Amino acid sequence: MTTDSHALTTVEHSPVGGLAHDARGGISNPVLGMILFLTSEVMFFGGLFAAYFSIRAQSFQGWPPPPFDKENPLEIFPLVGPATVLLIISSFTAQFGIWAIRRNDRTGFIRNIAITVLLGVVFLIMQGIDYTILASKGLSLDAGPFGTTYFTLTGFHGAHVLGGVVMLSVILYRGMAGQFSARHHDAVEATSLYWHFVDIVWIALFSTLYLLPGTTVG
Amino acid sequence: MATTVLHPPTTAPGYRSGLYEWVTTTDHKKIGILYLVNSFIFFFFAGLLALGVRAELAQPGIQFFAPTTYNELFTIHGSVMIFLFIIPILAGFGNYVVPLMIGAPDMAFPRINALSFWMLPLGGLMIAAGFLAGGGAAAAGWTSYTPLSEAKYMGVGEDLWILGLVLVGTSSILGAVNFLVTIFKLRAPGMTMFRIPILVWTVLVTAVLVLMATPVFTSALIMLFIDRNYGGHFFDPASGGNAILWQNVFWFYSHPAVYVMILPAMGMISEIVPVFSRKPLFGYRAFVFATAGIGALGFSVWAHHMFTTGSVYLPFFSLMTALIGVPTGVKFFNWIATMIRGQLRFSTPFLFSLGFLTMFLIGGINGAFSAAVPVDFALHDTYWVVAHLHYVLFGGSVFGVMAGVYYWFPKMTGRMLNETIGKIQFVLMFVGFNLTFFPMHMLGLAGMPRRIADYSSAAGWSELNLLASIGGFTIATSMLPFLWNIFVSLRNGEIAGDDPWEANTLEWATSSPPPPYNFDRLPPIRSERPLFDLRHAASTVGHAGAAAAPATEPGA
Amino acid sequence: MLGIATLVVVVVFLGILAARGNVVDQLGNVWGSFFPPAATSTQGSEIRGLYDIVFLLAAIIFLLVEGLIVFAVVRYRRKPTDTELPPQIHGNNLLEVIWTLVPTLLVLFLFFVSWRTLNDVDRVDAAAPVQVRAVAARFQWSFEYLSPDGKQIQFKQFEPKMFVPVGQKVHLRLQSADVIHAFYVPQFLFKRDVVPGKENSFDFTADQAGTFRGQCAELCGEGHFAMQFTVEAVPPDQFQSWLQQQIDNAAKQSQQPAASAPASGQPPASGQPPASAAPSGQAGATTLALTAKGIAYEQQSLEAQAQAPFTIAFDNQDDGIPHNVDIHDQGGNSVFKGQIFPGVATQNYAVPALPAGTYQFVCDVHPNMTGTLTVK
Repeated sequence: MTTDSHALTTVEHSPVGGLAHDARGGISNPVLGMILFLTSEVMFFGGLFAAYFSIRAQSFQGWPPPPFDKENPLEIFPLVGPATVLLIISSFTAQFGIWAIRRNDRTGFIRNIAITVLLGVVFLIMQGIDYTILASKGLSLDAGPFGTTYFTLTGFHGAHVLGGVVMLSVILYRGMAGQFSARHHDAVEATSLYWHFVDIVWIALFSTLYLLPGTTVG
Repeated sequence: MATTVLHPPTTAPGYRSGLYEWVTTTDHKKIGILYLVNSFIFFFFAGLLALGVRAELAQPGIQFFAPTTYNELFTIHGSVMIFLFIIPILAGFGNYVVPLMIGAPDMAFPRINALSFWMLPLGGLMIAAGFLAGGGAAAAGWTSYTPLSEAKYMGVGEDLWILGLVLVGTSSILGAVNFLVTIFKLRAPGMTMFRIPILVWTVLVTAVLVLMATPVFTSALIMLFIDRNYGGHFFDPASGGNAILWQNVFWFYSHPAVYVMILPAMGMISEIVPVFSRKPLFGYRAFVFATAGIGALGFSVWAHHMFTTGSVYLPFFSLMTALIGVPTGVKFFNWIATMIRGQLRFSTPFLFSLGFLTMFLIGGINGAFSAAVPVDFALHDTYWVVAHLHYVLFGGSVFGVMAGVYYWFPKMTGRMLNETIGKIQFVLMFVGFNLTFFPMHMLGLAGMPRRIADYSSAAGWSELNLLASIGGFTIATSMLPFLWNIFVSLRNGEIAGDDPWEANTLEWATSSPPPPYNFDRLPPIRSERPLFDLRHAASTVGHAGAAAAPATEPGA
Repeated sequence: MLGIATLVVVVVFLGILAARGNVVDQLGNVWGSFFPPAATSTQGSEIRGLYDIVFLLAAIIFLLVEGLIVFAVVRYRRKPTDTELPPQIHGNNLLEVIWTLVPTLLVLFLFFVSWRTLNDVDRVDAAAPVQVRAVAARFQWSFEYLSPDGKQIQFKQFEPKMFVPVGQKVHLRLQSADVIHAFYVPQFLFKRDVVPGKENSFDFTADQAGTFRGQCAELCGEGHFAMQFTVEAVPPDQFQSWLQQQIDNAAKQSQQPAASAPASGQPPASGQPPASAAPSGQAGATTLALTAKGIAYEQQSLEAQAQAPFTIAFDNQDDGIPHNVDIHDQGGNSVFKGQIFPGVATQNYAVPALPAGTYQFVCDVHPNMTGTLTVK
């Protein structure tokens, strides 16, 4: 076959009609990309959780293992519990922001995103203070499997919160510059998905690290 | 309608752009070529390391490398071949071909695509830089089992290995997101999911595997890094860690990664065999389901690498491992049924495809031995396993890659590779490959463990090892005609034209090489072989084909 | 082209065989090399039985599928007369079902036979008559012989030789001192990982007397290749007397720790480097320096004077790794056996007068560490 035969045929409608980005409607490319990326993030934390449960299950000295078996250094009050509540609230404010921009309500959008950023920063500060308290109790990254798993899990979550805060700040900046509208705000949708994910991971972490009862040597 | 000749094949338009253009490009075709070139550079590097291994093992006694260096050689050989050659080169073919095959102008996120690529050479250099580090490169095997890979036993090279792989893994994950969005969202009108080429299906399943498995590996790497540098206690049993945990998370990734390394090669073979048989692929849907089946089962067999650890539930993983052979078998029968009653044309791409079929079959069958758990007790961690994995990854993936290079080189450059040199390369490679790896079956049966720097002359392994070493150098020799072929053909190769192979898929509907935006126009897409339909319509309806072609469903 | 390539392989192969003598015998050897060595344990024999089944199935599938490929390649090559397209067959559901179901049944069969063998091979009897614990450490094996209840260590064998009685079941526990190793005896067709922090165990019954080579099969570092041992299967009565003697020796030794070194079963003084064993007064005037580093002797050959005692100043530079020097005559008999001790440390071995000749010296812990001693 020669090239001529190709040339002889034609294409339906416009020459490159089918070639436009985002041709297939439905969910937008950035949002789909973010959902897929979050799948990989779920698996990443899945790996860390698997390590946590595996090490916990094989600890022959109970959990928490000594020297933390007498008194668990992880305490819900005064810091971690309230921080958890703040993070959950921030998920709502992020969603209010989304609903606002979908209504083309830019003021409401900016206000809600600003609150979300603020709550994220406060969460990070509270986590930082909590870390120093734990350190004073002798719990650190190298203090046995208990400390290693705790700081690895919460540390990586904290890094994700930080990442989320940076992304939301960019969104806030761009929002104040008037770059988003009801029709064009894919980046906002994608970022809020990420923020919800970070929130859900924290709920799973909090339940596992703080609410799951410890075990003793039987 | 319109012009008679869209792209007059008088000159092959080359990429005339300078270095800057290549470094900053976001064009999926250029990035695809960057992937290929980069992968081949690492292939030759890791190949040299393999020659070092074969030279040392050619005869008993320690001749060339101290045992420590020897361990570094095979560790970096394995790591680079897997993470910087096979996985990225298949991603490179995907990058070049997938958007063309589905009629898209580019990947969904071109800039992320460029980012994915540039992480690779950086990660690769970090791994290789271990050789310059104090204490040498990583030497715990590409599997880096704990606690051997802990700070107590391994130096800075291991940290470089970890960081390099985190980069390479992130590159894979971003690439996978890109592939998935591209395949889901950028298909041309008429290109329904059951019309996309099989290669695109395999890339899709591969991307899902990468997306689900690689992050788990990243988490394992980070935990190891914490253990080594910040006093963590994940993997060292001496301080409350769990040595087998590493193997579980490692293989949870690395087993699916085996399918990442073979599925796209299967996809390329599934494109090439029908074209050179002049028949459609036998059982397109069966192929799709088999690919998806391999992907799904691929997550439930990781512990078959751990049968001898005494820590896995043997019957379950044995059953799953046996079952995963079935979809691969289905594919084999479909490939053969495609050839039967066809009109086979023995061009170089098809030769390498036949190499794939005949050799990968052995890699599948000798894997079945290890699925029978008690037999695995005998064969695990011996040279049998080395033979098995090379029949899969070299006999399968590398032959597939070579088939792909010869098949798509004309599209990428506008010029054909030389057929005679190609056939010389094939014969050398085929002979060298079997000479290297077939004796390893016998060595494994005779009890030679893998990863040993030396063996006793009394063990009776000397002759087979010598044979394998001769084979290894034969493979190396076969790379000379390959490089020469590329060098010569880039300048003086026969002009390819748009569609030198009478192919079926959309990438052959545009010029060679394609313009930056890929297509001036697309043929109607009414089956998985739009170009075949086009040719066929043109030859039967004569030159009125254009009018006879109704618009495909718009928008789809 | 593929045909030519295959032909080249076959011709080269037959050429090599022909160059080495009788082709038929050689082919027999090649056929034999497709199988594991003859099993010397009852469990190994069962695995061999399973291997043969798998091999048969594999051979049939291999010949069938490669045959189909070759058939298609030979029969359907394109001819100049092929101007028309071949029939455009898109598939056949019945065929797809058949070639999905048949392999499924085949692998299920494979699974069931291997499961049956697995249950036999993996059965563990904690009350087996012989209880041994293999201790793996970088890069040597030692064997602890346990009391029948498996709780007490009766004595520890530091040389990597594991004596077992023929025909009696041995319950072997595996313990690692550092990284993961694997206990592998090719003639048992079996291996099991030695995992730190976890005690694996398995049973085996040697069904014939002999010496069977074993080796670490899991990469454990730079000395991995040197981590070898042997299993010595001896008649039960011989085993019992050997065991009793070792237990007595160990008891004697614990009473007088400063006693001179017995040949084997001698524990290295852990932690502290042992003092020089031999009073230098008795040793000969000549002192030979010998250094062990990186699981190898730095000096590959030594020379000594005939009929005169001499001293080997043995410098073990491998941190934590035990070595010694064992001098063998031409017949392989040990004429001097130095004490095994871990590095970093130095010991002076007082070697008695030797007749002129060529000797081999070897490290008992690492049989691949060798050198030549010339006495003249």
